Amino acid sequence: MATSRLQALWNHPAGPKTIHFWAPTFKWGISIANIADFSKPTDVISYPQQVAVTATGLIWSRYSMVINPKNWNLFSVNCLMATTGMYQLSRKLQNDYGGEKAAIAEVVEKNVG
Amino acid sequence: MAAMKAFWNSPVGPKTTHFWGPVANWGFVAAGLADMKKPPELLSGNMTGAMCVYSALFMRFAWMVQPRNYLLLACHAANESVQLYQFNRWYNGPATPVEAKDE
Repeated sequence: MATSRLQALWNHPAGPKTIHFWAPTFKWGISIANIADFSKPTDVISYPQQVAVTATGLIWSRYSMVINPKNWNLFSVNCLMATTGMYQLSRKLQNDYGGEKAAIAEVVEKNVG
Repeated sequence: MAAMKAFWNSPVGPKTTHFWGPVANWGFVAAGLADMKKPPELLSGNMTGAMCVYSALFMRFAWMVQPRNYLLLACHAANESVQLYQFNRWYNGPATPVEAKDE
């Protein structure tokens, strides 16, 4: 029983033998890369790139709910992208415009973290 | 005129999500171009590397999806080029050793 269900999944038209599976699956990699960069100093964060990540995440989150059928995998991966993008932006904004205290906090994080 | 009408009413045209999603993804290309002049030590190897794999996969996805999405394909082909270029810059690092700054 389990074998035939697994086989059905394996042979699915949007299953692991197809790009319809791997492309959206790999999109998680962008968020993972961004999370890995949480501990990096803010100078390696790029404003244009993180704005693009956030905007893409927000737009695609909406559209994954508007298409038929709804795509929860696409929805969740884009939610995470928007979240990590906004976090990185806030880190960099705080460092660049947050005043002395924020800059000191970042330096401490850089040396200790 | 007829071409514009055809585009407007296309199943992947501006009245559909198949259009605006890819448009949002051009943001990555714009961001990559904006960062071309950045010194390599300020690039993120993680993000650039992830983008290279991501756009390669989505070029194939755009080709195979129904209906075929040429806008998405163009977007990811452009992003692939930009990100590979940036990745190469990051990988090779600065041309001359960077002096440690005493501040």
